[in-house]
Amino acid sequence: MDAITVNHLRRLYKSTDGIIKRTTKEVVAVEDVSFEIRQGELFGLLGPNGAGKTTSVKMLTTLLIPSGGSATILGLDVVKDANKVRPRIGFIFGGERGLYWRLSGLDNLRYFASLYYVDEATSKKRIPELLEIVGLKGREREKVEGYSRGMRQRLHIARALLHDPEVLFLDEPTMGLDPVGARELRTTVKNLQSANKTILLTTHYMFEADALCQRIAVINKGKIVALDTPEKLKENVQDLSVVEVELYGIPQEVIERIKALDFVVEVSIENRDQRQVMQVHTPKGPEAIPVLVEHLNGLRIGRIITREPTLEDAYVRLVGGAEQ
Amino acid sequence: MKRIGLNLRIMARAFEIELRQNMTDGFVLFGILIQPLIVAFMALWMLKGKGPDYAIFVVIGSGMTGLWTTLLFNGGNSITGERWTGTLEPLVASPASLRVVIYGKVLANVTQSLLSMIGSYFLISFAMGYPLTLTYPGLFFLSLVISVFSLVSFGLILASFFILIPDFARMVNTLEFPVYILCGFLFPIALLPGWTTPLSYLLSPYWAALALHGAAQGTLEPLQIVGTWGIMAFFSLVYILASGRLYRVILRKARRDATLDIVGN
Amino acid sequence: MLNRLTTNTRIFFEGAYYSYKALFRWLRPATYLASEVFAPLTMMIFFVYIGAYASGSNSASFYVIGNSLIFAASSGIFGVTMSVGGERWSGTLPYLFGSPANRWAMFVGRAVMHVLNGMLGVFIGLGWGILLFKLDLSHTDPLALLLTILITTFSTSGLGLLMGCLSLITRNVMLVNNTVYFLLLVFSGANIPVGDLPRWMQVISQGLPLTRGVACARTIIDGGSLADVLPLLQVEFLIGVILTILGYFLFKIFEIEAKRMGTLDIF
Repeated sequence: MDAITVNHLRRLYKSTDGIIKRTTKEVVAVEDVSFEIRQGELFGLLGPNGAGKTTSVKMLTTLLIPSGGSATILGLDVVKDANKVRPRIGFIFGGERGLYWRLSGLDNLRYFASLYYVDEATSKKRIPELLEIVGLKGREREKVEGYSRGMRQRLHIARALLHDPEVLFLDEPTMGLDPVGARELRTTVKNLQSANKTILLTTHYMFEADALCQRIAVINKGKIVALDTPEKLKENVQDLSVVEVELYGIPQEVIERIKALDFVVEVSIENRDQRQVMQVHTPKGPEAIPVLVEHLNGLRIGRIITREPTLEDAYVRLVGGAEQ
Repeated sequence: MKRIGLNLRIMARAFEIELRQNMTDGFVLFGILIQPLIVAFMALWMLKGKGPDYAIFVVIGSGMTGLWTTLLFNGGNSITGERWTGTLEPLVASPASLRVVIYGKVLANVTQSLLSMIGSYFLISFAMGYPLTLTYPGLFFLSLVISVFSLVSFGLILASFFILIPDFARMVNTLEFPVYILCGFLFPIALLPGWTTPLSYLLSPYWAALALHGAAQGTLEPLQIVGTWGIMAFFSLVYILASGRLYRVILRKARRDATLDIVGN
Repeated sequence: MLNRLTTNTRIFFEGAYYSYKALFRWLRPATYLASEVFAPLTMMIFFVYIGAYASGSNSASFYVIGNSLIFAASSGIFGVTMSVGGERWSGTLPYLFGSPANRWAMFVGRAVMHVLNGMLGVFIGLGWGILLFKLDLSHTDPLALLLTILITTFSTSGLGLLMGCLSLITRNVMLVNNTVYFLLLVFSGANIPVGDLPRWMQVISQGLPLTRGVACARTIIDGGSLADVLPLLQVEFLIGVILTILGYFLFKIFEIEAKRMGTLDIF
């Protein structure tokens, strides 16, 4: 049975502008999203910032009413049966908001335990366990305002697990964490999955989705543009290779000109310190290099290499190179 | 039955959490403690000519101003405050009823502001040497308890206005003194023009002040005091019943307009 | 020389304009009316009625004048503090300290709009008094009254500047502000005649801004001439000057200290 089903979910926002004269316009955040997640699956929703990930998650966690379409969690409708859905799901939103900073981590957990009707005996046992799992043991009596970003994020996770929910939503859980903190957090997520929870993880890091998820839905501009296992997604780009050209400043019109070449499938630009790395996806492989160099005439060029495509490249191709 | 127990526990936790947060917030402490003391001091000085018996009137009246200010600012903000910290979303997504949580929070604020009444009691009786006696102590304390609950029930409604009416928070400053005036905290409403009297009757703080002043100074018969309890109980019932519907409306509206959190998307 | 003067003038007006705009950006006309016109009225009514209850007679003009001038203090203290303290909350303080702009021009510029707003507040208060409480201005020398209002708003803004500087180092600036504001209510003679206060409190009253302003306004509305109140007004002005200078130097000290200790961003 599917733990989560999403059918043509859609969400508009009204935004108002101006101080004296207010004008209202509608913005589409989620245009058309459908997918199913199996019980016990770790499912990734991958997309660039503003693609509609958070909005989708908020609709599934009963915090937003969809403008169209429907969704069920464990067979319950997220709008009609919101009250029945809530005790059975847990969620964290990336970032540091959503905690009481002037209280200790322990106070935060105890408070939410009672909000989830966790009885006293259970919560006495469960909170220390959770503190252990998320690595906050020994720090629980300190105020949250003194916590590091990573600690707050892990406190969020502990809070989401207080009532032992069957379904978990993790919205950009590693956002803003340092590399070590992010790695620890990924380990925690992996462990949760082995505890047989259904998990929906959103991220804009390809490698994170690749490392954790059994299936990945790539979302861009409010629509699902691909949905498959990481391996299958990679196959989509197997026929191509990637030419990487190191540059020191490239004008936009040159990028446009290269994009327009008939053997070029996608172009993305990655900024590394002073340099820019232009990645050109092409079936021609190394043969493309002379033509590219010709178009880059007059620019300072560094290293040029050709390599096999990665999942990252598959993602770049799906969401369009500009997002890098 | 078990449900009631669990809800009481949620209310108690919300109460505790709110109390502890307030303790570290200077601005809140000002509204709760210092401002009423200053009002008490001023009123005592202004009403000096009325003789020492008026000290108890001042203690209660200025305490009521503190109670109302707390209810208006802290109680009223109890939903919007969560919105600013980003905790409204987890609150709403939890199975707990938001009304129960808010009730606990407002109760914490109102209880805390009673401290100012006690503070001015001690200040005026010990430090300044005024005689402070209660004519009907028992009736006074019962009136106090009933007043607190009727005010908290009103706070439940106020808090929803902050969500329902976008400009309410900006206008809230203008509601502080009108209630001081209309509810007879520090002067009888008989001094006001006659057309304002029905307005006073509609405000539960008026009945609370009437009961407390009456029980303290003996200006009301015991039966009349019990009468004000009935009126306060009636108002509380109306507020609580109304709040059920009101909270359903505001939560649905917030989920539709995406206003549960201040940061969008 | 002239060039420098124009630059400083520009900094002055920019400071004034931006601090005011930032503060009232969230206000709409209806909200402005509510918080600047209606709210002060309700406070005035409250004290007028307590006064009426106390004395049993009609002494409204005493409270109307006192509370009208309190509006000047409110604008001076809260407005100015917020426009200085706002730097800290918005995290722009390091840039401010890092800029070569003349502190004096910038600092006083911030206060100017609030002085004007405070004066407007006093007029509104007196207007309510005429409309609702039969305040009689027929014996009043308008120029003397205007001067009194100007000087009183200036002196309370000086207090605001000083508080604004404190707001750069304390976390609970609103707490300090509100306490000072309410203490002014007690000490200034706006609602309690200064002569009724205990001796030690009268001493404090004499050291604060606003006290003399309130006394002058009452004398002038009662038919007194500018010459009658001039000595008091001079002292009120002097208090304003002293507070402004103190505020300025305090700001300087904080700036130097912050740069020396490297604590700009923990402000």
